[in-house]
Amino acid sequence: MSQAVAVAPGRPPFWRDVRILRILGQVLFVVAVFLIGQQIYLNLQFGVKQQAIDLSWGFLNSQAGFDIKEGLDYSRADSVARAFTVAGFNTIRVAGVGIVLASLFGLVIGVARLSKNWLVRKIAQAYVDLFRNTPVLVVILFVYFGFVLQLPRIDEGGSVFGVAFVSQRGTAIPWPRTDAGVGAWGVCLLAALVVAWLVRRWRTRINETTGKPHYRFLWSGGVFLAIAVGSYFVIGSPMKMDVPKVDGLRFVGGVEMTGEFFALLMGLVLYTSSFIGEIIRGSILAVEKGQKEAGEALGLTPFQQLRFVVLPQAMRIAIPPINSQYLNLTKNSSLGLAVAFPEMVSVGTTIINQEGRVTQVVVLWMLFYLTLSLSISTVMNAINRVVAYRGVRR
Amino acid sequence: MDRPRAPEDITPLAVQEGPAVEVAPHKEPETPLEWVRENLFSSWFSGILTLISTAFLLYFGYAFLHWIFVSAEWRVVKVNLRSWMLGRFPPEGVGRVVTSMFLVVALSGLTWGGLGKRIRWTIGRRIMAAGFAVGGLLLLYYVLSGVGIWLLIGGLTGTFAAAVWLGKRLGFRLRGVITFGWVLIYPVVVAILVAFGGPSPARWGGFLLNVMVGSAGIVLSFPIGVVLALGRRSSFPAIRTFCVGFIELLRGVPLITLLFAGLYFLPLLLPPSLDLHLIIRITIMFTIFSGVYVAEIIRGGLQGVHQGQYEAARALGLPTWRMTALVILPQALRNTIPALVSHFISVWKDTSLVGLVGSLDEGLSQARHSAAGLEFIGTLPEVLFGAGFIFWVVAISLGRWSQRVEKRVGVGER
Repeated sequence: MSQAVAVAPGRPPFWRDVRILRILGQVLFVVAVFLIGQQIYLNLQFGVKQQAIDLSWGFLNSQAGFDIKEGLDYSRADSVARAFTVAGFNTIRVAGVGIVLASLFGLVIGVARLSKNWLVRKIAQAYVDLFRNTPVLVVILFVYFGFVLQLPRIDEGGSVFGVAFVSQRGTAIPWPRTDAGVGAWGVCLLAALVVAWLVRRWRTRINETTGKPHYRFLWSGGVFLAIAVGSYFVIGSPMKMDVPKVDGLRFVGGVEMTGEFFALLMGLVLYTSSFIGEIIRGSILAVEKGQKEAGEALGLTPFQQLRFVVLPQAMRIAIPPINSQYLNLTKNSSLGLAVAFPEMVSVGTTIINQEGRVTQVVVLWMLFYLTLSLSISTVMNAINRVVAYRGVRR
Repeated sequence: MDRPRAPEDITPLAVQEGPAVEVAPHKEPETPLEWVRENLFSSWFSGILTLISTAFLLYFGYAFLHWIFVSAEWRVVKVNLRSWMLGRFPPEGVGRVVTSMFLVVALSGLTWGGLGKRIRWTIGRRIMAAGFAVGGLLLLYYVLSGVGIWLLIGGLTGTFAAAVWLGKRLGFRLRGVITFGWVLIYPVVVAILVAFGGPSPARWGGFLLNVMVGSAGIVLSFPIGVVLALGRRSSFPAIRTFCVGFIELLRGVPLITLLFAGLYFLPLLLPPSLDLHLIIRITIMFTIFSGVYVAEIIRGGLQGVHQGQYEAARALGLPTWRMTALVILPQALRNTIPALVSHFISVWKDTSLVGLVGSLDEGLSQARHSAAGLEFIGTLPEVLFGAGFIFWVVAISLGRWSQRVEKRVGVGER
């Protein structure tokens, strides 16, 4: 204690000086990366010259010349850029619907895995074991070839009570189309929403002051429905049901879901939901047992314990891994290629086969999927911040 | 709270009015009827669920079993199974594949015997094992024929049993040998398949190709992953930035776009003199893609290593690289075993994408080809089921086996 340990005076020689070595190491690394990058660039340039590869982006404005039978308005006379837009929109559509459905399925499976009911538990486990261990490509193909293509052909019927149609080509169901007076009805709906919200507040206050059951969902829902239905008939049916009809080999009217969309969607949902189910199960198990017991002690029903005590806490644990499942689902939607669903990769390969332009298409793909992944992550991180523990931190 | 209280500190609680609630101790169900009541009809909700599930099971179970045993045409699988497994691999090279299989099976047996936990043979497990054995044998009997196949299966089973026995005898002392063996198995198998005039990798096909691409994605991705993970946690900003950019770029895009890049784009980036075959290019892309995910898993493991371990290593005077190699990485890797195994399972499943790119015939696309002929038209569901089953069996066995090893190595216990 009396004497300080002798520290070497001055600085060590430069080949042993950590500060200099650190900078030197990084400079070496940067130089190496630069040299490799330069070599790759030279190779690229050589290849481009030798094979006369066009690296310009002008082809985006040229005529596409192939059909896309799904999504936004498009014809083969439209530009390649338009084709990419339609394809990108299709990817987003299937990924969006897929994320919602996979979350619902996954929640049910995850809760069922922990059910007290032996049969339900075993069925959920079989579901998870089946889909988690099968390639998603096989699931998509099996839904397509084993289910969709086993449906009747479009000209062979497959009508459900004459208002909906199920066929290989797709499924069509009636869909409301707007008619005169829809604007007035929209205003009424908004008003109904406000009134329902007021009713909900009123019931909550009654519950808080008198302790009577609030039934606020029934009350506000009932009020909303009453106003909505009443005004619908007062205004005089502003929406008309558009019933689909088969016209040759396609549907007219209603809303249609193609068989390819269905196969890709169900393949993605079945596969991803088995993973989400396991995440939910793990998160529920990770919520401390005392929480559920406290809920029980308060006299909550098993459903209420799950809904108000366990699940909100489990969600905090589940959101980061679920986020990566959403990203996987979005990226796996590129397997639409296998069932000719016109999403980004499948349209991109068509363009590669027709026009070449490999480099540009690959770059576009990467930009598109990176943007999409980043957007999903941003949204999920925002949700994570909302549900994360607030206030006291450990 | 910790202070033991004197009896007089405790004020007696107000005694509740009314009859005392008697809570029966939880009793394990004894008769089958009790079991059914407890597990299937414990409440009205549970009862309804049971009825719905039973209806569901009866309907789909019947449809499924009817398809499997009555309406499905399994001849397409039986006739084409060899091409599913090997593709256009030349018959004179099959001996090399068989040799490799023996090697892998022997090593698996050693690992199983040496690291596995002893199984408790309950009645349920015995029945299940017997069922699996009988079912497997029936399936094999139906699918395969010929003495050669039986000899091969017998030989493999025998080797496995012998290796398990040896592993049990030697036990944990084998640890080093087993680790070393798994590290070396990939290059050794490639050498056996290719060296001394073997067929070139271009002839690999069917599930052989899946296995070879998949094992590259598992084995070769590992060093890439370790380097990238260490780079991402490096204190050198230049290296860190590069690694973060590389990892995030490749993690954000689908595997299939990278495989297409390997098909069309990679030749442009490599020196023109280096004319790599498509299989090798795809393997490279696959390995890099897998390596990026391995890097993220290992990074998680590195973050789980306690700060005190770093400080202890520093206190011992270890330089950075020895600290990393001897103290930090072993602990980090041990904690990542579950995540790594589930990643390796998805690598195995992802090998099915290889057939979508270019003209490579891995197992799934080879299987789909076999339903294309006139003879077997309309048998695509059977073919997809068969190929999917092969993927499934490998994936689920990997998962179950890893759970065994995890228990033995004691992941998450220390």
